[in-house]
Amino acid sequence: MSEIDRRKFMGNAAGALAGALLVAGCKEATKSVAPYSGPQVRLGIVGVGSRGQELMRTFLRVPGARITGLCDVYEPRFAAGRGITGEETPIYRDHREMLAAKDIDAVIVATPLSMHAQHIMAALESGRHVYGEKSMAFTVQECDGIVEAVKRTGKHYQVGLQYTYATWYRDTLRLIREGKLGQITQINACWHRNNNWRRAVADPNDKKLERLINWRMYKEYSLGLLAELGSHHIGFANQVFGGYPESVVGSGGIDYWKDGRETYDNVQVAYRYPGGQTLLFSSMTTNALEGAQMRVYGTEGSAVMTEGDGMLYYEAKKLKASVVTRVLIHHGIMTGASYMPEMPYRGKGEAVPLPEDVAGNANFLACESFVRGILTNQRPEADEHAGWAEAVSVVLGNKAIEEGKRIWFRDFAGKKSGA
Amino acid sequence: MSGSVPVESNLEKRTRDTRLGVWALLGVVSFLLLAAQIAPARTATAKLYVQSREAMGTKFTIYLYAASEEQAEAAFEASFDEIERLDRTLSNYNPDSELSRINRLAGRKWVTTDPEVFSLLQTCLGYTIRSGGTFDITVGPLMRAWGFFRGQGHYPTARELEQAREKTGWEKVQLDAETRAVHFAVPGMELDPGGIGKGYAVDRVVVLLRRAGVKVAMVDAGSSTLYAMGAPPGEKGWLVRVPKPGDLSKTISALLLKDESLSTSGSYEKFFQLNGRTYCHIMDPRTGAPVEGMLQTSVIAADGTTTEALSKPMFVMGTDEGAKYLASFPHVAGLWVTGKIDSPQVVPWNWPGCMGDCAETLAGDKERKAKAQ
Repeated sequence: MSEIDRRKFMGNAAGALAGALLVAGCKEATKSVAPYSGPQVRLGIVGVGSRGQELMRTFLRVPGARITGLCDVYEPRFAAGRGITGEETPIYRDHREMLAAKDIDAVIVATPLSMHAQHIMAALESGRHVYGEKSMAFTVQECDGIVEAVKRTGKHYQVGLQYTYATWYRDTLRLIREGKLGQITQINACWHRNNNWRRAVADPNDKKLERLINWRMYKEYSLGLLAELGSHHIGFANQVFGGYPESVVGSGGIDYWKDGRETYDNVQVAYRYPGGQTLLFSSMTTNALEGAQMRVYGTEGSAVMTEGDGMLYYEAKKLKASVVTRVLIHHGIMTGASYMPEMPYRGKGEAVPLPEDVAGNANFLACESFVRGILTNQRPEADEHAGWAEAVSVVLGNKAIEEGKRIWFRDFAGKKSGA
Repeated sequence: MSGSVPVESNLEKRTRDTRLGVWALLGVVSFLLLAAQIAPARTATAKLYVQSREAMGTKFTIYLYAASEEQAEAAFEASFDEIERLDRTLSNYNPDSELSRINRLAGRKWVTTDPEVFSLLQTCLGYTIRSGGTFDITVGPLMRAWGFFRGQGHYPTARELEQAREKTGWEKVQLDAETRAVHFAVPGMELDPGGIGKGYAVDRVVVLLRRAGVKVAMVDAGSSTLYAMGAPPGEKGWLVRVPKPGDLSKTISALLLKDESLSTSGSYEKFFQLNGRTYCHIMDPRTGAPVEGMLQTSVIAADGTTTEALSKPMFVMGTDEGAKYLASFPHVAGLWVTGKIDSPQVVPWNWPGCMGDCAETLAGDKERKAKAQ
């Protein structure tokens, strides 16, 4: 048998039905709802790698979204991209060619980090809205440039900090702002994995291809683990503490995967915020016990956030001295067995409730919000300012790791952008 | 992640695993090792590598011939990444999956999904219509009513059954191809693509393996769906054994599989007994009750999606109706094992395998064949 192609398979058993698939069901139920029939948002994507492909699938779950352009420099990506769209989507080998096309309303940028700014700026200047993968850009100057370009063009820019849109993150942030966890003093965050962080390369002897596929390993393109895995945590801490840090210290090294990579296989950073709060972030590639999580510590309670849910824990109530009437003295103090059924330290915790009418993972909620924002003319929440604060924190965190000293944000960032 | 190892060293460490597929494949592998000793020149350029990972509620194992460990690693990585991606997409246990999103919302509104998930649902609907409703991925509420999700059997009351049936049935699932949207006409319905998802994953892996330059491989989804790509050196196909239900040490049929898939459904692993009757976990969606009197079905077809989608309808329909159903597909073969576990009846239809413990006669190597005779 010849190669089983997914699209051939699609046509296989159900082919005869493809034209008439609206199954007559309960008519009462369909009265109140109908399939989406509103306007479309046509998306072109630059960078059809693994993350780009995941974004494509996710955007295609959003009513009204359509992928109308695939741009990459690695030929096999085009077949992979068309396999996802299920149609002969136009392909481009240069982003400028794609931006010259008329059937594109917005651009997804999922290229290596050092190329983000070039692709984001070109898309904005061509009059397109942009969904840009995190981290926003490679240098502080590039971040400033994107903020200015958004202001100048009036187009939407949404940074791929998808947890901004996750219901359990939003609810936790609301509870924090309502003071339910008291004063937040510290966030401990990590993304720990146990693998070499490498992607297989079709021809291991092709050095150019190796750098292209494993760009995360090379300083020419990448700011390493802090950018690729720490952005979400930094973005959330910036929301909790407001603004961005004032200083950072860091360390890291290539200590286990000594395989020719240039970016570190473990990093640790401590950010200090102007309000006297701290974000500790660690990423390692040699143990996955902790996975990806964030622990928010407040004087009244804590929140433990993961990729899929959130749990709240409350501190023991602080007791005050209370006045007792003299009746106690007259009545006497009872003696007996000392017994309490359970004395859990913090209890089982309380799950952040998930709403009934919203479902989908953080990626879906972020992509849906971007498309809806274009259709309803509402600016994104994870906008260029959130992106600026996250990316500048990454750039300077990385500088602290590289230089092994405390970096003050005021020396490198903040005045020009007004972020 | 552990590195891929040539099968030789892996086998030495492995303790006996009684699952059907692994057991059957170990037969293949040990045979290959013997063949390799007899004719070492044939396997000098490519080694047989194996890797397993848990996904989709089972264990996927991939055997492949590769020229180097790097090539094997790249092929395994691409394959298992894809299996894990599909698990994340189609799992009804993971609340983050696309399927969970559809299940949560489609009772309230039309839910648009991506082309892949939508086409998989279209395919399911195609099989449902074609199989007269014996293939149905909406049977979750019925399974729950019969206690199969709680791990213990339960004879449902008439009311429980009625309530479950209200939330079951593909005619209540609406699909709109224009917007790739899904809607449940009745709230509380749920889709469980377990009856096709593993087969689809196997087919996707086959595509990726070919893309990675692999020519000879065996993809095993928890032994219930196998795909044989090409044939091991010196062989006409991958040797697969179909076990006697309930006794994995006995073979009821053996066959050589090449560029085709085989799926097996069985009733002897998950069942309960009540008042002298045995109720298995395979549901007849037409009656709302578990199938009785059927032990095992196996089916061969060109791809894993097809074999997985055919094995349960065969089980539900039985031998006569099932054979007619299989005859409506090209290049398909089936094998039923009916009756009671201590007196099973084997019913082949268009079946290419030899019957009984006949694996030795299928040996590709002449010396071994002569030895067997």
